[in-house]
Amino acid sequence: MTFYLIRRVAIGIFLLFLMSAMFFTLTRVTPGAPISVGENPRIHQATITLRLHRLGLVDEQGNPYSIPQQYVQYLGALIHGDLGDSYINNERVTTLLMQRLPNSILLLGAALLVALAIGIPLGIFAATRQYSKLDITTSIVSYVGVSIPSFVLGIYLLLIFGVILKQSPLHWGFPLFGMHTGGVDDPLDLLYHMVLPVTSLAILQIAIFSRFMRASMLEVLHQDYIRTARAKGLSLEKVNYKHALRNAILPIITLVAIAIPQIVNGAIITEGIFSWPGTGQLAFQAVVDRDYPVILGVVMLVAAGTVLFNLIADVTYAIADPRIRY
Amino acid sequence: MAQVPPIPIGPAGVPGAVPDQLSVETTVQQERDLAQPGGAKADEFGGAPELGFWRLAVIRFLHHRVATGALIILGIIVLSAIVVPIITGDLYRIQDYRHPFKPPFQSFQHLLGTDDLGRDELARLLRGARVSIMVGVLAVVGYLLIGGTLGALAGYYGGWLDNALMRFTDIIISAPFLLVVIAVTAATGGVRLSTVIIVIAATGWYEIGRLMRAQFLVLREQEFVQAARALGASNARIIVRHILPNALAPIIVSATLGVSGIILLEAALGFLGYSIPPPEPSWGNMLQQFEQYLLDDQAYLVVFPATALLITALCINLIGDGIRDALDPRQR
Repeated sequence: MTFYLIRRVAIGIFLLFLMSAMFFTLTRVTPGAPISVGENPRIHQATITLRLHRLGLVDEQGNPYSIPQQYVQYLGALIHGDLGDSYINNERVTTLLMQRLPNSILLLGAALLVALAIGIPLGIFAATRQYSKLDITTSIVSYVGVSIPSFVLGIYLLLIFGVILKQSPLHWGFPLFGMHTGGVDDPLDLLYHMVLPVTSLAILQIAIFSRFMRASMLEVLHQDYIRTARAKGLSLEKVNYKHALRNAILPIITLVAIAIPQIVNGAIITEGIFSWPGTGQLAFQAVVDRDYPVILGVVMLVAAGTVLFNLIADVTYAIADPRIRY
Repeated sequence: MAQVPPIPIGPAGVPGAVPDQLSVETTVQQERDLAQPGGAKADEFGGAPELGFWRLAVIRFLHHRVATGALIILGIIVLSAIVVPIITGDLYRIQDYRHPFKPPFQSFQHLLGTDDLGRDELARLLRGARVSIMVGVLAVVGYLLIGGTLGALAGYYGGWLDNALMRFTDIIISAPFLLVVIAVTAATGGVRLSTVIIVIAATGWYEIGRLMRAQFLVLREQEFVQAARALGASNARIIVRHILPNALAPIIVSATLGVSGIILLEAALGFLGYSIPPPEPSWGNMLQQFEQYLLDDQAYLVVFPATALLITALCINLIGDGIRDALDPRQR
C-alpha cells in the first residue's frame, strides 16, 4: 500500500509536470507580447524592458529568453508555490486565485453535494423498482440532464424564475443579474443566491450519478449472493439496502473524482451568467484578456485538484473494498 | 429482441449439422457467428434468408420506438438545415431596421419573429443548425480518424504508444476541457470555424481512442485472430479486415454520443464568442445577448436557440442509446 501510494503520487506529479509543459508552451508560442495591448505608445523602452523582465520574459538587457529558459524559470517559481504575475492586473496569480477560490469551492462543493444527495438515491430507487414510473421518470430526467449544457439551463432558470415568476403574484424575488448579496455575513441570503447556479451546475451530475447508480445497482441485484440472501429469508429492504447497496455504491467514488473537472467546465460559463465571483469567472476574463499566466494558473489548479481527488478516490476505494489489493 | 423469421429445416443433402429444434439460443448464437467473419453462415441452416449483423441491427433499431422517433425528428432538422437556407439564401443576414423584435407567430413572413436587427429568426436558426451539425459531424470524423487509428495501434501493439495514449488521456481528463479548448482556439489566432473543428477534434478524441484500445486488447487475443495469423495474414490485414469490423459496435455508439457532446461544446464556445463570428449565426452566439433579451421581455429570442440546442442534443443521445441497444441485444 505504501509503495502503491508513493507510485501514485509520483505519477500524479509527473502528469502535472507534463501538463504544465504542454500548456506553458502553448501559451508562449502565441503571437503578441503582453505589453503590446492597451499600452501608451509613448512609454519609454527601458520601462517596457523592466516590466517584461519582471514578467520573466526578457533578461536585464532586453534579450528575450527562449521558451525552455522561460519554462525552467516558471517551474522554479512553481516549486515555491509562485504562479507568476498576471499580465493585466499587476497582481500575483496566486493572490488572484486565493481571492476567488473560496467562492468557487462554495458553489462547486454545494453543486456536488446536491448532485450526490439527489442522484444516488434516485438511481437506487430506479434500480429497485425497474420499469416503474419512477424509473422511467428518472431516465427521462437523466436524458434531458445530459443533453442540456449548464449555461442553457442557467438561462432557462433565469427566464423562469427571474422573468416569468417575477411578474406573477408568487414573486419569489430570485436574484437577477448582479444583485448584491450580503456574503457570508448573511447565510440565508447567500443560500438564496446560490439556488439557481447550484441547480444549473448540479443537473448534469445528477443525471450522470443516477444513471450510473442505477446501472451499478442493477448489476449487483442480479448476482447470486443477492438471490441467496433473499432465499435465506431476509427482507427485501435489508437485501437491497444492506447487501446490494454496499457493493453498488463503491464505483461512485471514482465517478466523483471525474466529476470535478466537469463541474469546473460548467462553472466557467455558469459563474459568468449568475455573476458569481469565482475562479471560473476569473478564468473566463483571463481568456478574454489573453492573460496567460492566469489561464495557466487556473488550469494547473484544477489539474492538481483532479489528480489529488483521483488519488483520494483510489485510496478510499481500496479501503472501502477489501477485495482490492495493491 | 431479434426479429428473425422462423428458419425452416433445410433440405436433405445440406452439409453441416441441422439442429432439430431452433430455439432462441440458436438465433442468438447465429447472430454471434454472423458478427465474426469466418463464423457459421446462415445458409448452413438451410435456405434461411441471410440477415447480416447490420441488417439485424437496423431491424432492432427500428423496433425501438423512442429512438426511431428521435431519428425522424433529427432527420427533419438536418434536412431543413440543408434545404431551407439554400432556398432563403441571404435572408438570415438581411437586416430590416423598421421591424426589429417582431414577436413570433404573428406573421407568415417572419414565422418566428425577428431579432434585434430585424433579421428573420427562423432563417438564422436553420443557418445555425448548419453550423452545429457541420461542426458535430466533422469533429467526430476527426475523433474517429485520430482516436480510431491511435487506439487501434495502441491496443494492437501496446508498448510506448499505449503508454503515451493513456497519459495523454489522463492529462485531458484532469484539465478543464472547455478552458483548454478556448485557450487553444485563442492561441491559434483568429476565430474561424475550421480552427474550432480542428481544436475540438485534436483534444476530444481520447474517449474513442480508449474504447478502440480496449476493444483491440480483447480481440487481438481471440482465436479468429490467431487463425488469421496462422494463415499468414499481415498485421495490417489483421487490424483492418479481422479486428476492426468486430470492434466497431461500441465505437459507433460513442461517436454518435460524441456528436451531441460536440454540438453542446460548440454552442458553449459560440456563447463565449469563440466560435464562428457574427454575422454568421450559430445557436451559441445567438444566445450571447441573452441578458438583454430577458430584461427587455424578448424571451423568444432566447428560448428558440436554447430549445433547438436541447432538442437536437436530446435526439442524438436517444439515437445513440437506440444504436447501443440495437448493436448489443445482450446488454438489456
